[in-house]
Amino acid sequence: MKDFRLFDITDFVLDEDFIRWVYEKKEEDEIFWNNWLRQHPGKHLVIAEARRILESLKTAEFAIPDHVVSQEVDRLLQTIRDQHEPAQLTARRRHTWRYAAAAAIAILLTVASVKYISFGGKTGSTRMSYASLTADRRLIENVNTSNTPVHLSLPDGSSIELAPGSRIGYVRNFDSSGSRDVYLSGEAFFDVARIPNRPFRVFANDIVTKVLGTSFSVRSFEADTTIQVIVRTGKVSVSAYNENPDHTPADASGSPDEVILAPNQRLVYEKTAQKFQKVLLENPVMTLSAEADRNMVYDEAPLEKVFSAIAKAYDITIVYDTELLQHCTVTADLRHEPFYRKLDLVCRAIGASYEVIDAQVVIQAGACD
Amino acid sequence: MNYQPMKEGLTHLEASSLQQLQQNSEQALAMLMRHYYADLYNYAARFARDEPLIKDCIQEVFISLWQRRETAGSIFSLRYYLLRAVKNKVLKALYYNDRKTGLANFRDDYDFFHEFSIERIIIERQISEEKAEKLKRTLALLTKRQKEVIYLKFYQHLDHGQIAELMSVSRQSVYNLLHEAIQKLRNLWHTEFITR
Repeated sequence: MKDFRLFDITDFVLDEDFIRWVYEKKEEDEIFWNNWLRQHPGKHLVIAEARRILESLKTAEFAIPDHVVSQEVDRLLQTIRDQHEPAQLTARRRHTWRYAAAAAIAILLTVASVKYISFGGKTGSTRMSYASLTADRRLIENVNTSNTPVHLSLPDGSSIELAPGSRIGYVRNFDSSGSRDVYLSGEAFFDVARIPNRPFRVFANDIVTKVLGTSFSVRSFEADTTIQVIVRTGKVSVSAYNENPDHTPADASGSPDEVILAPNQRLVYEKTAQKFQKVLLENPVMTLSAEADRNMVYDEAPLEKVFSAIAKAYDITIVYDTELLQHCTVTADLRHEPFYRKLDLVCRAIGASYEVIDAQVVIQAGACD
Repeated sequence: MNYQPMKEGLTHLEASSLQQLQQNSEQALAMLMRHYYADLYNYAARFARDEPLIKDCIQEVFISLWQRRETAGSIFSLRYYLLRAVKNKVLKALYYNDRKTGLANFRDDYDFFHEFSIERIIIERQISEEKAEKLKRTLALLTKRQKEVIYLKFYQHLDHGQIAELMSVSRQSVYNLLHEAIQKLRNLWHTEFITR
């Protein structure tokens, strides 16, 4: 029998009986704890604090509807009835095969689900306009009213190509503030000077693009329904604008509300749905030097070598079942071909097809002999 | 007043179901799946946000349980057995294509998506916005492994030994992870209780 009188806050928090009382609120527990508190009135504060800690740790659970569970139970019973003992081996193996394919797709879906992030937590959250973002800031502003892009240089050595009809602003003390913040309405291409510990951030309506040393473009016209970010080199992180004024990197990094964008990827933010989506560019460009392309002639080369060369050259992930396709070889001349043409040629050589899911290429194929 | 520990070995329900399972009762298998489905799904969903994958993995776990039903008597805690099996299945499926980085890696480097739901406490306890913001920040600072320990301890009600085994860490680490997390929250709430 436990002596609760000797318990401190942490002991209570870790005690199964105490946890059950706080989380399940069963009547017998209510009676027990109310009695106990009456006998030990000095413990009210400790109990209250321990309760509060447990309440803070409540988790968001998925509710599984009954009919879904029933479906799954039926499916299970069907499977085990199909698996007559003599046929068990084959049934099992078939299952494993199917599973291998499912696993390959699954990886993508999982990645995808991390990327499709909704910021719908607060309903009716205000959409940020350039005016409201910059309202109480004294900015140096540039507006491009011409019909051609305008080239601008920032005090830190970064350069900006501002598209027609676009406006950009940055604080007067840009070069001495902790982070390099610019505010954009419209479209611009940024070539950012790498300065460690001084992040470069672009505030464009609802989203913030944080740069890890790179070149990229942001398109965010207030009349558009989407905001888009395209990376040319390096990597950027994009997150929803957080009205909390100290939008610190510590808040954004590592939190799932942040999307990391690599070259050849385009991020589309739908303003009304407040959703991010990552897609591949229609015509990805090589991120390596042209020499990588010159080496892309293959004679009975292992598939893995070919795919990894392509993936590396374009910095695009290609997902396939390495085990299943380990005996596949490719004979092809992929030089000077655009990305998708390269993929077509390889896929044709091994009788496969591909799909692009969430900015990654998924190969679907059967084994080679 | 005498308190029954919440989980020690098998509950009555588990024991009788396993017994029936050994006698080839499909109904016992169905009953166990029904009973554990939500808990297993929620655990799996913390590694992979992929409904079809999770469902397939849970199916496979119960198929395996059925196939080894003769030896089901050796299962000491069914909840632990099922959680462990689901975790292994999901992580294997997720990292299937990631052989190059080595299977060993995913054993401790897997994701753990976990969201706390603090809306209830904000409403019920009338917490100030400032406090709620602090709470959010404190919870956001918890590590993946701390969140997993918290989840297994407070939601799946595993004991420390089981949590340690499931996460392939020592019991001491489990205790430390819990302790650090609780300490952060104690610091957060403590001021509230002296000022009131």
